[in-house]
Amino acid sequence: MSSHAATATIDHHHDPSTSTGIPNKKLLMWAFLASDCMFFGALISTHLIYRLHPPSGGLDPKDIFSIELTSFSTFILLMSSLMMALAVTAIQKGNLKSCRWSLLMTIFFGMIFLGCQVYEFEHFVHAKNMTLSNSLLGSTFYTLTGTHGCHVAIGVLWLSLMYVRSFKVASRPSWFNVQLLHALTLIVVLLLSLKVTLGLVHSLETVTGFGAAIADFFSHQSLYLGGFLLSLWGLFWFARPRGTVQFNEAHAIDVESMGLYWHFVDIVWIVIFTAVYLLEYI
Amino acid sequence: MSAHSAAVPPPGHGPEAGHAEDNKFEIYVQIAMLLAIITGIEIAIVYFPWANWIIITTLVVLSLVKFLFVIFYFMHLRWDKPFCTILFFIGLIIAGGTVWALLAIFSAEASLPLPVA
Repeated sequence: MSSHAATATIDHHHDPSTSTGIPNKKLLMWAFLASDCMFFGALISTHLIYRLHPPSGGLDPKDIFSIELTSFSTFILLMSSLMMALAVTAIQKGNLKSCRWSLLMTIFFGMIFLGCQVYEFEHFVHAKNMTLSNSLLGSTFYTLTGTHGCHVAIGVLWLSLMYVRSFKVASRPSWFNVQLLHALTLIVVLLLSLKVTLGLVHSLETVTGFGAAIADFFSHQSLYLGGFLLSLWGLFWFARPRGTVQFNEAHAIDVESMGLYWHFVDIVWIVIFTAVYLLEYI
Repeated sequence: MSAHSAAVPPPGHGPEAGHAEDNKFEIYVQIAMLLAIITGIEIAIVYFPWANWIIITTLVVLSLVKFLFVIFYFMHLRWDKPFCTILFFIGLIIAGGTVWALLAIFSAEASLPLPVA
């Protein structure tokens, strides 16, 4: 059966085999997201209550927040949502290659967002002296944005596993071991890329002069950089063609369910960006 | 599945839906650009010398627009069965009600924190 013919027979929005007409995986995800709304609702309201009634002598968020960095993070997360939507559309049309690239780009944007958050938290703790326990602002801010960050990290892990899953070969009995190594390699690439990027930013911030900063970066991060390049090569090695792949339009519901989760993370950030960051600048 | 439901495509599954499926790439890119522009407006608007209530209302409306675009287009609620929308909005309304109730309770005079001695 050709890819086009298969696409014509699969209705991605309706499943006649279920009593609701909705694919069970999609229904499960919507139910979970509805419950997660309440979770974030409680966290957001806690933060807002303390911001509306701040204790005297507390920290001023305008002196702490960086609107430029947060705006950049917001833009990145919006673009990751676009890539996720394109990944779902690609697999629904049976375009595996496009789906993989879109998933990789979503992972890439997700990692940039996480990198920005790690940098922001580190900056707030060390440069602004706002910790989880020394102020109410710190307690509610880190709890809320940290919980969101955990959701993003889980999303990146899920995306990574789905990307690796798209390489499953039908005729290979040892696919589990191969895919496990593939997934571990991808996770190592992501962690090392985060470490190396933050190391570069740290060198550029702390060392005067571009040349000296780059020299400082290589002297401190060369081991991690080498590991990153090696694991990146491993990622390309695992991605080489190995036979007929068991991942097609029929698995679009798996990608779509994951996409729902990722977009939810995005809409939660839309609310956090306004409620936690922008309202402080009025 | 009844013969009627087999013959008549459900909402969002007719020829129009097929046309929409073909144009999804363009729709998604246009929406992403719109979301980016709205985000830019949100950032700029907090520096405008307007009354606070105007800025807050504008921010809430713009965030709501972004929120709705993402759930109805990127999350496919526009093309899915209405039950998905109802299910999600149940959670959303309960969450919104909780936020409103908590803010109202803690804004009451009796709930205000006591001054530090």
